[in-house]
Amino acid sequence: MGSTVSHGIRQRLRQRFAEWVNRRIPPARSVTLDQKRIFIFPSGVGLFFTLCLLVMLLTAINYQNNMSFALTFLLATLFIVAILHTYANLSGLTIRALRATPVFPGQHSEFSVQLERGGQREHFALLLKWPDSSASTVNLVERDTVQVHLHMAVGGRGWFSPGRLLLESTYPLGLLRCWTWVDLDLCALVYPQPLACPELPGLATDQGDAAATLVEGSDDFYGFRNYRYGDSLRQLHWKGLARGQGVQTKQYGAYASRSVWLDWEMFPGYGTEQRLSHLCYWVLVFEQRGEEYGLRLPGFALAPGLGDRHRDRALQALALYGIERKPL
Amino acid sequence: MKTDQLIPRNALVWIIISLFTLVAPHLGRIPGWVLAVYVFAATWRIMVYQGRWSFPGRWVKAGLIISSFAGIYVSFGSILGLEPTIALLLTAFALKLIELAERKDGYVLLFLGYFICLTEFLFSQDLPMVLYSLLNVTLVTTALVAMHRPGEHQFNRKTIRLAAAMLLQALPLMVVLFFLFPRIGPLWSVPIKSHTAKTGVSDFMKPGDISRLGRSGEVAFRAQFEGDIPPVADLYWRGLVFSRLEEGAWSSLRYFDIPPAERRPGPVETTGEPLLYRVIMAPTQQNWLYSLRYASPASGGVMTSSDYVLFSPTELEDERLYSVKTWPDAVLEPSLSDWRREIELRLPPQDNPATLALARQMREQAASDAAFVDAVLARFRNEPFVYTLDPPLLPGVDPTDAFLFQTRAGFCEHYAAAFVVMMRAAGVPARVVAGYQGGELNPLNRTVIVHQFDAHAWAEVWLGERGWVRVDPTAAVSPDRIEWGLERALTGQGSFLADTPLALVRYRGVAWLNTLRLRYDALTYRWQSWVTGFNRDQQFQLLNDLFGGISVQKFALVLLATWVLVLAPIAFSLLRKRRGHRVSELERHYLLFCARLQRVGVVRAAGETADEFGTRAARALRREVDEIERISALYNELAYGSAAHGAAGPDTRVAEFRRLVRRFRPGRN
Repeated sequence: MGSTVSHGIRQRLRQRFAEWVNRRIPPARSVTLDQKRIFIFPSGVGLFFTLCLLVMLLTAINYQNNMSFALTFLLATLFIVAILHTYANLSGLTIRALRATPVFPGQHSEFSVQLERGGQREHFALLLKWPDSSASTVNLVERDTVQVHLHMAVGGRGWFSPGRLLLESTYPLGLLRCWTWVDLDLCALVYPQPLACPELPGLATDQGDAAATLVEGSDDFYGFRNYRYGDSLRQLHWKGLARGQGVQTKQYGAYASRSVWLDWEMFPGYGTEQRLSHLCYWVLVFEQRGEEYGLRLPGFALAPGLGDRHRDRALQALALYGIERKPL
Repeated sequence: MKTDQLIPRNALVWIIISLFTLVAPHLGRIPGWVLAVYVFAATWRIMVYQGRWSFPGRWVKAGLIISSFAGIYVSFGSILGLEPTIALLLTAFALKLIELAERKDGYVLLFLGYFICLTEFLFSQDLPMVLYSLLNVTLVTTALVAMHRPGEHQFNRKTIRLAAAMLLQALPLMVVLFFLFPRIGPLWSVPIKSHTAKTGVSDFMKPGDISRLGRSGEVAFRAQFEGDIPPVADLYWRGLVFSRLEEGAWSSLRYFDIPPAERRPGPVETTGEPLLYRVIMAPTQQNWLYSLRYASPASGGVMTSSDYVLFSPTELEDERLYSVKTWPDAVLEPSLSDWRREIELRLPPQDNPATLALARQMREQAASDAAFVDAVLARFRNEPFVYTLDPPLLPGVDPTDAFLFQTRAGFCEHYAAAFVVMMRAAGVPARVVAGYQGGELNPLNRTVIVHQFDAHAWAEVWLGERGWVRVDPTAAVSPDRIEWGLERALTGQGSFLADTPLALVRYRGVAWLNTLRLRYDALTYRWQSWVTGFNRDQQFQLLNDLFGGISVQKFALVLLATWVLVLAPIAFSLLRKRRGHRVSELERHYLLFCARLQRVGVVRAAGETADEFGTRAARALRREVDEIERISALYNELAYGSAAHGAAGPDTRVAEFRRLVRRFRPGRN
């Protein structure tokens, strides 16, 4: 009973704290650290150091030794001075959100941020970490900026928000921990989980040939054309490129002639997520086979096409189906 | 083990350096094998770093710890006491290095290093040692900083800069705390220095004991007088009174040998203004304190014995500062108790028959005790007695007979002892006093520096109403000793400071060296009286003088004010740096170029590259096409081309760019 009460209180406190932090450090694509955003407190090592200082003080008192007093006080004031230096190690840094790679559920997304220093000061041992991500420690010594890539397992379909990014440092003495939690407004796009289904019911093509199924041996190659932005890298004519013939794309004419429409309505009676998962699966299948395909969702249509960009647009549409905007 | 918790190589090097500089000053008081442990530990750790050896296993570590405990026990015969404890600490410090893998080990090691710095102060608080320890603290702090710089795989000398800067910033605050922090007494008793040799005059005297001190140039104590300094010949610093002669050695009365009624000093009538002076004594590991007679202590913790010498209830382990009032003309003990008279007359009955006979015969010829004293002194003066640091050895039986009638060569203790024996033999109460005589005047701060070679022994004779009267038989033999000091008295003998050929005091003849020595001595005095000897009384007086009394509010206010005064500029300088955005010379001149174009109406748009802007400007200003194109091309090359990445001669190209821009005046003609 008591534990549930205290649990409830803790929950409320945590929520209050989160709200307070939100007000103090609102989400932004790029955050420059100043006194409003930096927190500082003695670290565990700092407490241990304080304990050592107490022992030294007792020694000085018991031996009535003035130089021991002086040394103890010197170290104590070093601790105080270290507050400023630790603070300065974070102060003036700018954290910029760069990108997060879109992934399928259960995979690790790579979140990239950039750290930039405001002056010529050297910054050391800056640890960056999202609550559940890998951690990375970087220095800003010779360069003015550094990019940091952190990996984190994502959740379900839609926008995945990694939470607040922790930037902390105990430099230069380890006695104090200086940190900040910034919300970088950086989200990873999570596609639907691809779900295989053996055949495509009611396949719609441009020609209206609804019953047509895929033909075996459909990857017949028939020629080249100049590379266009968005063409799949898999279809690049690498050998020709190596021979200096310019960037060309291999053409697979067997499917150029017919475009397949992947349609929401193909899966009547299925739940939303299941429909999206199947559609996602087929997008990947067509992309792999190199067949042009279009995508039709309620309120959205993507003309048939092929290539990485086309696929990404299709997957993004599937990922964001029914999701209004980025969570904040 | 997370990689960011590992110790970078730079930190490892700094740690090993500080390890050895920390152990160095302790070398004299730890067994030699501890240093071997240091070399062993450093070698092992370096081997681990190079990947040739591995970290020690649990059993190896346990074995190392147990064997070092055993080693300390064997070397010291105990693991209690200050020296064994410190030896243990130092060994643990070295062993910790072997298993130093992560940062948390590093913290333990380096904080232990700070503590080892502190232990050094328990043995010496001299200025050179303090400066050396400051270096040690800087090195340990540097290692701490280096530990927090991941990815430094090269030894980096510059790491020390930040550590030194931080310590410098901490220094003023430390000074404030040092003088403000309340000095309270010891909270509990702590292990004492059991293995340090006692120095100075010892508590019993055999012939040859004091002459040994004549070979040492160490400073015994320094005294600073408030008024005029008495003439050097009158400076008899009493330390010990020897009333008992047993088996050829003089010793003072032990507390419990004295009947309870006699344990307190008798009352002394004082008239006139006393001499006021402060004495700072070097640690002796003994109890007695030196003063001119008749001395009355003017600071706490100093007691007076029944024979009117000052002593401290605890042994002097560190420098000791005390103030004294002296009335030189006061009469000591005008009436003698029966017990006291008996004690001060006692002689071993069978010894030195010739001396006893001589004394009785001379007393009969003299009219009074005082005349007898003069007669004995005249005998020392007129017979061929020699004053020397290297007297011939006296036999164990009847040494005084041998001295008076055969060798006739001795140091002050021989003369004082022989004189007292003669007095007692003739029924005149007498005793030997040991201490220092004279001293060197330092005109820079008006202190008297008393060295070990000023050690001296003389006699006190009880002459009825005049009480105890000082008689110095050495003055009869060698007046130079009292007037000018030992060095003059021993001219030509070559034995002065024979054991310390490099002592600076030997070179008093070299003027500049002497000035330097006296200057340093004055500094030492100031250091000892204001820093290492700073105590509650001084603190009270200082705070009273500075702030007119002490209250909690004033205390807090002073602390706060000084901290703000010191920390605010540091904070300002640290945070100002980040605002100063770095604009290179190249950028500055390119902006100048743009500004000059703007003046003639060609404005660079946001996001326009140097190339685009250059082309546009060249089209607008037909006359300056060449210049604009050259400047734009050169800027592109310097900012983004190979020259931007450290290719040969960018400096001269930047200079060329600067020249071009400066000469560029669009639209003037």
